[in-house]
Amino acid sequence: MSSASATLATLDPAAPSGAAGSASAPGEAGTPPRSARRRLPWGTATIWVVLGLLIIAPVGSFLLLATSPRLFQQGSQYFTLHYVAQALSGSTGRGLLNSLWVSGLVALLSTSLATLVAWLVQRTNVYGRRVWGLLMWVLLLVPTWMMTLGWGDLLQPYGAATIAGVTTQWLYGEFFGPLGIVVVLTTAALPFAYFIVSAGLHGLGSEFEDAARIHGATRWRTLRTVLPIIAPALWSAIAIGFAETMSDFGVAFTLGYHAHFPMATYTLFAAISNFPANFSVAAVIAVILIVSTIPPIVIQARATRRRSYAVLSGRTRTPRRREFRPVARIAVTLGLAGLFVLALGAPIIGALGGSFVRNLGIYAVGGVHLTTAAYGAILHPTIADKSIGAPLLLSNQLGVVVATATGVLAYVLGRRLAVARGGWSQRITDVFLLGTVAIPGVVLGVGYIFFYNMGFVTSHFLNLYQTLPLLMLAQTANALPGQTRFVAGPLGQVQPSLSEAARVHGAGRWRTWRSAQLPLVARVLVWGWLLTFTKTIAELAIAQVLYPPSQEPVSVTIQAYLGNYQLSTGTAMTVLTLVEMLGVIGLVLGLFRLLTPRGWRRIGWSGVRS
Amino acid sequence: MHITQNNRRGRRGRRALVGALAATSALASLALSVVSAGAAQGPTLVVYSAQGYDSAVVKAFNATHPGFTVTLNDNSTGPLLQQIQAEGHHPKWGVLWVDGSQAFAALDRQGKLAKHIVPKVSFNSVGRANIAADGSFVPTGLTATGALVYDSAQISASQLPRTWADLLKPQYAGKLGMNDPTQSGPTYPLIAGVMNDLGHYKSGSPAAAIKAGEAYFTKLKQNGLVINATNGPTLGAIQSHAIEMAIIQSSAGYGAEISSSPTMRVAYLNPVTALPGTIGIDGLMPKAVQAEAQKFVDYVLSRAGQHVMQIGDPQGDSLFWPVLNGEKPANKVIPPLSSVPMQSTNPYVWGPLENTVNAWFTANINNG
Repeated sequence: MSSASATLATLDPAAPSGAAGSASAPGEAGTPPRSARRRLPWGTATIWVVLGLLIIAPVGSFLLLATSPRLFQQGSQYFTLHYVAQALSGSTGRGLLNSLWVSGLVALLSTSLATLVAWLVQRTNVYGRRVWGLLMWVLLLVPTWMMTLGWGDLLQPYGAATIAGVTTQWLYGEFFGPLGIVVVLTTAALPFAYFIVSAGLHGLGSEFEDAARIHGATRWRTLRTVLPIIAPALWSAIAIGFAETMSDFGVAFTLGYHAHFPMATYTLFAAISNFPANFSVAAVIAVILIVSTIPPIVIQARATRRRSYAVLSGRTRTPRRREFRPVARIAVTLGLAGLFVLALGAPIIGALGGSFVRNLGIYAVGGVHLTTAAYGAILHPTIADKSIGAPLLLSNQLGVVVATATGVLAYVLGRRLAVARGGWSQRITDVFLLGTVAIPGVVLGVGYIFFYNMGFVTSHFLNLYQTLPLLMLAQTANALPGQTRFVAGPLGQVQPSLSEAARVHGAGRWRTWRSAQLPLVARVLVWGWLLTFTKTIAELAIAQVLYPPSQEPVSVTIQAYLGNYQLSTGTAMTVLTLVEMLGVIGLVLGLFRLLTPRGWRRIGWSGVRS
Repeated sequence: MHITQNNRRGRRGRRALVGALAATSALASLALSVVSAGAAQGPTLVVYSAQGYDSAVVKAFNATHPGFTVTLNDNSTGPLLQQIQAEGHHPKWGVLWVDGSQAFAALDRQGKLAKHIVPKVSFNSVGRANIAADGSFVPTGLTATGALVYDSAQISASQLPRTWADLLKPQYAGKLGMNDPTQSGPTYPLIAGVMNDLGHYKSGSPAAAIKAGEAYFTKLKQNGLVINATNGPTLGAIQSHAIEMAIIQSSAGYGAEISSSPTMRVAYLNPVTALPGTIGIDGLMPKAVQAEAQKFVDYVLSRAGQHVMQIGDPQGDSLFWPVLNGEKPANKVIPPLSSVPMQSTNPYVWGPLENTVNAWFTANINNG
């Protein structure tokens, strides 16, 4: 009893940081010694130089066009507000408003749903806990454009549902509107929120609930006491859900377009899809997308300021599970299954149907014709010299390099975000990283052309435009903000006392990291690597404008088929690419299981936990 | 003592940080060196192309022209033009090859195209009509935009409209579709072509023609015109019986007829607008690169090049009319060019109006 209540008192978010006992060190915002203030912060400087080259300079070059198109030969004015007014009026203005309210709603819905699912999977005896965790990963990997295509294949007139004998005409009209947009975006944001909240819940031993109950708290009061302990995770989930939704293009381009419901990323795309492209209006929209992520960060910072949430250590106990009775257990399991059928099953069935049914979506008197012709076309491409083999191999190579580089950088940045003692530097890094999550890929891609193709840069610095290294850098810049936020939560839960203990016992820096840190964070690093690897292979917007001539990534090849009216071949190639990605995930996880000590899989963060 | 420990920790943390960043830089450098080795010998000529058969043509050209290697940036028209615009005064493209002439006219006005690149070959009349007066761009093949693609299982040839005005009749209400010009490359040339025809435009200001076109599309909208993003969804709307016919690019209709929809057919109202596959050379490139580019253009318009174009994308872009005398279309489904009532519009007049017309269409027809 005394142990549990003492632990609860130690980690009470309401307690001042100075009273936080052993967890107080990372929460202290003490004044640095004079000698430290005088020293040049080389680490910080190095980080900002890297971020400057990766993100700030290219994106900044694009954003400058909002008021100064002449800087990059895109107009005659060095300063004008004309494009600001243009971006805030008409359908672009409506698009911004739509994106803001949809993103806010989606962030709240996805975080609430993710908290419920994470609690069910981690803290109850619901059936198939490992399966639900795995399905969350699959959900994370499926691009939103594929989800909407799948839903379309399923619900459209003479689509997969009609073939199965289900009338969906009433739902088709409803789904291709704000309702469908919110549903698909919520399911897309769900895994981000789930993994962040799961990490928070994992560090939260059941001793806190026990302590609250022992002190006479009701169930509701216990929830109100315990949930704030994972407040950083909840706020982080809301912030990342908001930013990811603001930057989503797949849904905006498909559902949003068909429903005449403009969203900001679509209006940005529309501004630069004509010739000549209006980069200045696109830049204004991009600025607003980035700035819109500041309020969630500010709210998060205010809510979690001066508090410590370090609860994960080598002594963290496995939480006790709530035991449902048989009927309730089956009902809850069915509820979870229903959620995944809605989020994942329906669009995948639709997409698979689209690749195997010859007359999907076609009025046919003679019934359904199943065929594997689309998969045959992969071996014998309908467009000469346009096979999937070399592009898929190149994309995998890109994925390995980008995921590894991003993993290292994200670890460094994640540690800085987690160790909350740097004050403004950390806050700026935090706002910066979330803001960059909201940058659409096309802005990053075109920004890279503006910056890395400047005469000064190519003559005196780097001549990388139209080479694979530039594509790698851009893909790394694209993945870095999301992955940093992905690993920052679990990294923040590792108590520094572990490393201190190792050093006290004579371990060197490398051994300290390997023995006291790595076992706790290895799994999140592996899952983070897999996340970036798969997202890099599926990424199109940046690859399309930056891939080197004659070295096509697979996403560009697939787009060539989809854009050339050869939809079934393109869909079959997409399915094959997804299967290949799942194969790599299985291989990496298998190797991790084989090569790491058993203890590494027992403690620390896990993407798939039962 | 506490402060000293903090300082040590801070120093070590920073060292670890710098170490980690150094490791990342090392990995990045390794990647750079590996791939830069290939890039250093790099291409001298880059072809920016949105043609379905471009991979086959570039491969065939490289096989028959040893000495230098042409590389390909194969993309949709939109991203290619975005790249060219973003590259500004430091272009990397040597040849641009896309459908339509409007972008070429704009580049020519900016002084970015090489002049007099027309190979000495025998063009047919429609081919000749689409060559720039200063020889800065050349047609390599021809499709029609505004072709009436219809499902013969839903509507017979005898029931089809005969003129553009017929499309406004009540019996076609809600049965016609077309693409969104902001999403579909061939659709602005279609709208410009309708304006050009209805306004009987010859020269001078096109204002009257634009007004006539706007009035026409407004009536078409009132008669239930259905807008989809691109050819794929529009053809899908016909296949699912949501509509019966659509005004889109001819090659898309023929592609559907020979692949997924045997009942799909293509008819032509008088007139449809020529949409040439057009090629041009970057005039800002060094002379040596321009010379290589000229060889590539010559090859594309040779018998061998035309043949590769016709077999490179047999269900898609290969379904064009040749612009050279003596050449025939790749597939028998395509009628003789002489049977198609085709007009050509002036890209120098209609090109600069694209953003204005598209904005009007989006506000009044698509979202109106």
